[in-house]
Amino acid sequence: MRIQMVASAAAVLTFGALLTGCGTAANNDTNNAGNTTGAAPKSNFKVGLVTDTGGLNDHGFNFLSNQGLQQAVKQLGVQGAVVQSQSANDYVPNLQRFARQGYNVVIAVGFLMDDAVKQVAPQYPNTKFLIIDDPIQGIPNVTSAIFNTEQCGYLVGAMAGLLEKQGKLPGLNSKNMLGVVGGQAIPPVTSYIAGFQQGVAKTDPGATVEVKFANSFSDQALGSQIAQQEINDGADILFQVAGGTGVGVINAAKSKHVYAIGVDADQAYLAPDTILTSAVKGVDTSTFDVIKQAVNHQWKSGIQYFDLKNNGVGLGTVNPKVPQDVQKQVDQLAQQIKNGTITVSPNMK
Amino acid sequence: MKHIMRALATPVIASLLAIIIGGIIAAAIGYNPLQVYGALISGAFGNAANIGYTLAIATPLILIGLGIAISFRAGLFNIGAEGQYWVSVMAATWVGYHFTGLPGWLHVILCLVVAMLVGGLWAGIIPGLAKAYRGAHEVITTMMMSYTGILLCKYMIEDGPMRKPGYIPESYPIPQNTWLPTLIPQSQLTIGIVIAIVAVVVVWFVLFHTTLGFQLRVVGSNPRAARYAGIRVPLYTVLALGISGVLSGLAGGVQLLAIDHRLAEGFNTGYGFTGIVVALLARNNPFGVIVAAVFFAALSTGGQNMQQVTNIPASLTDVLTGLIIFFVAAERIVPQVIQWYKRWTSRASTSISEEGPKPA
Repeated sequence: MRIQMVASAAAVLTFGALLTGCGTAANNDTNNAGNTTGAAPKSNFKVGLVTDTGGLNDHGFNFLSNQGLQQAVKQLGVQGAVVQSQSANDYVPNLQRFARQGYNVVIAVGFLMDDAVKQVAPQYPNTKFLIIDDPIQGIPNVTSAIFNTEQCGYLVGAMAGLLEKQGKLPGLNSKNMLGVVGGQAIPPVTSYIAGFQQGVAKTDPGATVEVKFANSFSDQALGSQIAQQEINDGADILFQVAGGTGVGVINAAKSKHVYAIGVDADQAYLAPDTILTSAVKGVDTSTFDVIKQAVNHQWKSGIQYFDLKNNGVGLGTVNPKVPQDVQKQVDQLAQQIKNGTITVSPNMK
Repeated sequence: MKHIMRALATPVIASLLAIIIGGIIAAAIGYNPLQVYGALISGAFGNAANIGYTLAIATPLILIGLGIAISFRAGLFNIGAEGQYWVSVMAATWVGYHFTGLPGWLHVILCLVVAMLVGGLWAGIIPGLAKAYRGAHEVITTMMMSYTGILLCKYMIEDGPMRKPGYIPESYPIPQNTWLPTLIPQSQLTIGIVIAIVAVVVVWFVLFHTTLGFQLRVVGSNPRAARYAGIRVPLYTVLALGISGVLSGLAGGVQLLAIDHRLAEGFNTGYGFTGIVVALLARNNPFGVIVAAVFFAALSTGGQNMQQVTNIPASLTDVLTGLIIFFVAAERIVPQVIQWYKRWTSRASTSISEEGPKPA
């Protein structure tokens, strides 16, 4: 009796599922519409992108890398697919799955996938792997995109130094002090900070730079708390290199009417009045470039550096409150870095 | 038979309801549910490698779910499995890279035993004793111990003595002769799954065929009656939480030796919390735990494939998981629905077949 009842209930439910399925079979064409009018002819070249656990909405490198992929889909006609890893245990299966399905290039976003790429790449020698922000050498089918972020860090530091020295920006105090909030003391973060310190030292040698680490990339409240401390100490321009934690830094700067500098992506949209500019890492350009190399049979294994010269790093939108002469001096410094007159060290003091 | 069907009805119907609502949601945001579920199933079980991924994720879920099921059986809610899992990995890693002179098999056993002891200590000794002798509620204490444990582990690899100098915060790796052998080449499936299944059989035997298991269950169903019957309730409280922690610790040890080979942020997978849902869906039955763990592992691996093939956000699998938890937790809804259905069919059938006796 009871068995019958359960069985018939199950049957009804399954039938319902089938009905729902049939009702909507027609509208799944829209999903594959990466390739729209005016685009390059669609090729069989397939590119898969695996995000780290930050996901595509991270305002940072996962987001940017996908931008690069979408650009390649439009301009080069490649086929793109994205998978967002839910946990660190998804990295290896996700990379393997793309490789096994015959994808030509597989992009691993972020140094967290270092182990996974080292494990998977030798198993699939015919697939090319790109890893962002992590140096892997000696595997012929792996290329690493490394960003000389000390250079853009230097430029935003120089700009902050000039503004401090002039002291004309409304809201600046006379303490000549700058604050930095880092996510973690790891090279992709410290290289920015090293550049920032050198940039400040160049344009405003008397300034003090207070550096603090949150040891988290996702704790907005903590970011805001650390920023408040630095503001209370007298810092009036804050540079954050802390992912999601950094959003809290920007919010604190906004509510205390001081200034902040964005990182990785052009973050001006987060707080247009507060953000002076952003130290931008061109994960999008580098992703696009590497896909292009692979399509054109110009694949290079090993480390590829992306710097000011090849637009791999740079400045984001500059706040209109920043005076023209300051911008001009920063541009000159950028020129000097490009032609080698100034070299910036990636190591923090 | 009847009794097995009755036990299966709620979780199966809960899962089906969740799958149907998930399908409706997928359709509403513009995807074909059949295609989505097709990709989900083939991603989870489509070929040997995919089955390997699924069972690899199921391994820690089985062990943790099993531990939580035991504590539920004794009327206790061990919510801190995540922390027990982390600290046991920390201890096993330390043993792993310190005693490198041992033969491989002995080293493996040592790592697993240390992991189990530490897991048991973290769940049983401190929260267990606090509950047994001071009445401190285990939901609070296991949770707090969990946070303490996870933060301790993070300290160890970020600034602490276990950090390997270099780019990424992680510990020194354990030597290769302690890695568990792989069952399917190029997959993450190891003999860890065998350890998990053996653990299930052992727990089933202990729970239902020994005095210890019987007394544990009596304490769970009625602690006052248990005390009246002369069962030492405090002892069984500590034991239940302790065994629960031992199994979380074993999960951590197996995961370390099978997949991660070092302590790193990668342990941040939430298995300790998914394990609670596994135990709930399995209704604390040891063999049910295997099915429930494979089910959630399949949702996870299948969800990744689903994204890759159909572009649907993987968060749909989170939605499915949430719906299943909802329906399992709100299990009274299911008999209610069945009753409505029964009333509806009996009304329909009486109006059609007026003559003849009704089938029993």
